[in-house]
Amino acid sequence: MSTLPWFVAAWLFAVGLYGLVTSRHAVHLVGCLTVCQSATYVLLLGLGFVNGAGPPIFYDHPPGTPAVDPVVQALVLTDIVVGAAVSALLLAIAVQVQKRRHTLDPQALRPLRPSEPAPDR
Amino acid sequence: MSGLVASLLVLSALSGLLVVLTRDPRRQVYALAGNGLVLGLLFLALQAPDVALSEIAVGTAVTPFLFLAALAAIAMDRAGR
Amino acid sequence: MSVRLRLVLLGLALLALAPAVIHVALALPGFGTPTSPYGQTVNVLLPDLRHVTNMVAAVNFDVRGIDTLGEECMLLCAVTGATVLLRGARGEGEREKAGHVPGRPVTPRADATVLACRIAASLTLLVGISVALHGMTTPGGGFQGGVIAASSLLLLYLGEGYAVWRSLVRGPVLALLEGGGALLYGLAAFVPLTLGRPALQNILPFGTLKDLYSGGLMIVVNAAVALSVTGSFGLLLLEFMEETRVPSDESVPDEEGR
Repeated sequence: MSTLPWFVAAWLFAVGLYGLVTSRHAVHLVGCLTVCQSATYVLLLGLGFVNGAGPPIFYDHPPGTPAVDPVVQALVLTDIVVGAAVSALLLAIAVQVQKRRHTLDPQALRPLRPSEPAPDR
Repeated sequence: MSGLVASLLVLSALSGLLVVLTRDPRRQVYALAGNGLVLGLLFLALQAPDVALSEIAVGTAVTPFLFLAALAAIAMDRAGR
Repeated sequence: MSVRLRLVLLGLALLALAPAVIHVALALPGFGTPTSPYGQTVNVLLPDLRHVTNMVAAVNFDVRGIDTLGEECMLLCAVTGATVLLRGARGEGEREKAGHVPGRPVTPRADATVLACRIAASLTLLVGISVALHGMTTPGGGFQGGVIAASSLLLLYLGEGYAVWRSLVRGPVLALLEGGGALLYGLAAFVPLTLGRPALQNILPFGTLKDLYSGGLMIVVNAAVALSVTGSFGLLLLEFMEETRVPSDESVPDEEGR
């Protein structure tokens, strides 16, 4: 039972990878990437959890009461916000791909082929 | 491990699977928002209120909105051709 | 590469990795009994050393402040990249008309929605500011407060419609917030250097525990992050919304503020 979080993290990462491999739509692909990302959050926060301890905030409890690991929380906290901005960057790329290539299916995109009859731009 | 944490862990594994298996991107957005909410609750149960705040604000409000706006832009581009 | 071939490759990779993953998962310290001393040392030492009660903020803005500076730069780069990509294809001009996909109904907004959104937007903005300001004492801080404040812009759009929203929310102001926040963080790291101290050393008085002023230089860094995150996400929302408008020379039937 005490290994459940690690397997959940591995599962989330594997499921996200499966989605990345089989995706037929670039926006769906970005969604799968966020699932991969969430695997790291679960792993890190699971590593910092202490049985029976409170949050690492000593406003109500005096310093010295058992608390979970604040370092991993700080790592995850910044990563969530920055990860959302990176997803936005990927979405912006997807919008541009649609405008230039008129498809979002990774199967249909052939980036290295010389550009097909240039559509109106 | 408390039952609450265990069930939230299982729930987050399932909601992650749901995000991947929802192939229509417009529906996936809602699966993604659900996944964000479940993860936020899990982080709260793991005694990480800071992380839960940020995950709920980012995962259920900002990211789904960006996905919806990108999909709207893509749908308009497709309709315009 | 066909989908089948990719799936076979993925299956092979997973099969090869699975024993290693299972081995590591069983070898990790059990859930709830971590062995890392670093976090517990932070919990014991920092309330006295830095006079703050929120250890996560203390780690973010003081102990690992340089790391957060790196994250801040990643945020700046990602948002700049997205903005440049979208504006590069679209141009800088503002567009008024909502785009419309044929066959999708446009429902006008009810007065109750407008009222509810106005109330909710102002409350959300206040919550965001409060969460950012109390980052040193209670759960919160610049990252969360910034995102919450930016999502209040979303509610504002929902209630007021695009035209009013655009006249209230200005792109250059958001860009200024974003860049100014990053600059403030850079200055907070640089000023101690000019005094001959290590970068980001906490040179301000620490203040009192559980007070709004506690943590010294962390307050400046926290404010810098809050400004930067608000500006970043506001700008992202704005740019993506602008992407759903039609170029002004086309005449597409428009519903007020879809």
